[in-house]
Amino acid sequence: MLEARNLSKTYSSDGVEYEALKNVNLSVADGDCLAIVGKSGSGKSTLMHLLACLDSPTAGSVLVDGGDTSRLSEKAKNTLRNRKFGFVFQQFFLNGRDTVFENIVLPMRIRGASYAQLVADADEAIAAVRLSDKSFKKAKDLSGGEKQRVCIARALIGKPQVIFADEPTGNLDSTTGTAVEDMLFQMNREKGITLVVVTHDEDLANKCSRIIEMKDGQIISDKATEAAS
Amino acid sequence: MKTWDLIRTSNRNLFRNKLRTFLTVMAIFVGSFTLTMTNGLGDGMRDYVESQVKNIEGDRAIIVRKKVERPAGGPRAGAPQEYKESSGDESELDFDPNSMLLTQSQIDSAVRGLKGVKGVTPRYNFKAEYITMDGKKSYKAEIGMLSEGITAKTDAGKPLSGPNQIVIPSGLARELDPEIVNLVGKTVTVGYKLPDGTMKTVPLEIAGVATKGFMTNYSSFVGAETARKLHAEQKTASGPDQFIAFTIEMETSDAAAIAAVKEELSAKGFEADTIADNDKRTYDAIGIFKTGMNLFALVALLAASFGIINTLVIAVLERTKEIGLQKALGMGRGKIFAIFSLESVLIGFWGAVLGTLGGIATGLIANKVLVAAYAESFEGFSLFAFKPLSITLVILLVCAIAFVAGVMPAIRASRLNPIESLRYE
Ligand SMILES: Nc1ncnc2c1ncn2[C@@H]1O[C@H](COP(=O)(O)OP(=O)(O)O)[C@@H](O)[C@H]1O
Ligand SMILES: [Mg+2]
Repeated sequence: MLEARNLSKTYSSDGVEYEALKNVNLSVADGDCLAIVGKSGSGKSTLMHLLACLDSPTAGSVLVDGGDTSRLSEKAKNTLRNRKFGFVFQQFFLNGRDTVFENIVLPMRIRGASYAQLVADADEAIAAVRLSDKSFKKAKDLSGGEKQRVCIARALIGKPQVIFADEPTGNLDSTTGTAVEDMLFQMNREKGITLVVVTHDEDLANKCSRIIEMKDGQIISDKATEAAS
Repeated sequence: MKTWDLIRTSNRNLFRNKLRTFLTVMAIFVGSFTLTMTNGLGDGMRDYVESQVKNIEGDRAIIVRKKVERPAGGPRAGAPQEYKESSGDESELDFDPNSMLLTQSQIDSAVRGLKGVKGVTPRYNFKAEYITMDGKKSYKAEIGMLSEGITAKTDAGKPLSGPNQIVIPSGLARELDPEIVNLVGKTVTVGYKLPDGTMKTVPLEIAGVATKGFMTNYSSFVGAETARKLHAEQKTASGPDQFIAFTIEMETSDAAAIAAVKEELSAKGFEADTIADNDKRTYDAIGIFKTGMNLFALVALLAASFGIINTLVIAVLERTKEIGLQKALGMGRGKIFAIFSLESVLIGFWGAVLGTLGGIATGLIANKVLVAAYAESFEGFSLFAFKPLSITLVILLVCAIAFVAGVMPAIRASRLNPIESLRYE
């Protein structure tokens, strides 16, 4: 599904170069549930952004379903992200003045889906995160946990192959965080959606089937967890 | 994203900060309002002039004069003139008006060889003293000649069609009989003086009552035949008869034929103008005036467009994260650009719609007030005229200006790096 080959990323700001990712190789299979852990600044988000084609590597390449993404045009990458990937970030990036429905259907609007299609998909996604009764509430009136569930529904609506989640529970207390985690794992189990979770929460990481640990821009360990069996 | 979704998104964004949007729209409103007013004023003037000149028709007529060479450094050129007692010339003109006069043989040689000419009428000048219908009450007469090929439109009756006919102005007609149709076919008597001072009269049949216009508000008109007769009787000087101008009547109104004749006459040292040429000169002057006024309005719009730029630059900053998310979810640069451009065009559009509506309302009220005050002296005059085409053009122009103003912020938005935008610290 996803493959990183000799992936490097160097940021340069104000003439200072910083190598955030050093020659990383990684392969993620369909239906995998992968946690990326490591200290802050170790390059977790950078790796995730490159895998998700949100950014271009300085060297190396990312393959999606065997195809080299470095050869894709910006437009093709946009389509790829829109159709194959879903995103959940630590910050919600919801439009508070819009309804839950409006926030959730954004990827479908970007895709140019018909209104009927959009409503049907939205119903399904909202039901999956159990927010059907809040569909027409303004997003700003929701609790933190509900907001993150809206984000999951937004990631889910396009029926993606992979969901990338960058510290999805970072802004939530442990109870609501667990509920959100469970929801993500449920998507992975029931719909076979590949899950790539960036976290420094060990409990969350241990619920994944595979954990890779990063340090100074490199993968220092890659192991299956007990949850895998 | 579908086009409709883009428009919806832009519209929502504008409603997010109602006060800011309103203030930006107001600036555009002021500019559009001004442009509507200045444009309306120009169109109003043009309409008035058009209503005044269109009653003199003659698309086959060419009016010809001798070209006069104005001496360089004459009084009109602003150079001081040396006083010469002997000159005895009190005229303000810097050329001898007599040099413009043409004899019949000069006219004949001027027209010789011209193609498509149906007839030539010299300008027979004459002076009438009075005009009367019942012989009791006489009115001061002001009578001009209409050459063959030129007609004065009439409200009642018909234009001149034969000798011994007259078209009278509506003011005089109403004085003679408020029911002006009754006058058609009746006879008036026109008095004129012979060179020796004796008064002579001629009976003329009223062919019609002229439609109002600059030329026909006070003056009556007779045909060339009648004018020729009076001119001959009033002639004082011995020697060949002379005319200030003559009119060529062409066989058709074909533009190419008229242009060819004009060119040939010009080469022979004549000034040749059609009625349309004369009207065009007036319209051009109004056009220059209108353009000048519109420039002021455009300055206001230019100032307002900086308001749009400002508003959008702030909006891009405010919505950095939102734009980042949209891009992450696969929205292309073009769509981001389109959303911001649409926002600026919508600001322009609403400002323009409100501005033109406000301008039209103000103009129509002003017209009412002015008509009440000046109806007598300027009949049929509206200070402001609003034409659907002009209004549409104003709205389109304002939208275009708004679009241009939005380009820079929209490009900024479309170039935002999603990673940078979504970065959280
Ligand atoms: N745009 C950037 N410019 C410069 N340095 C950056 C940029 N983005 C990330 N970095 C640096 O790269 C390193 C890795 O960042 P990141 O992948 O976000 O770490 P993590 O997600 O593991 O906390 C950090 O030291 C960070 O400061
Ligand atoms: Mg991070």
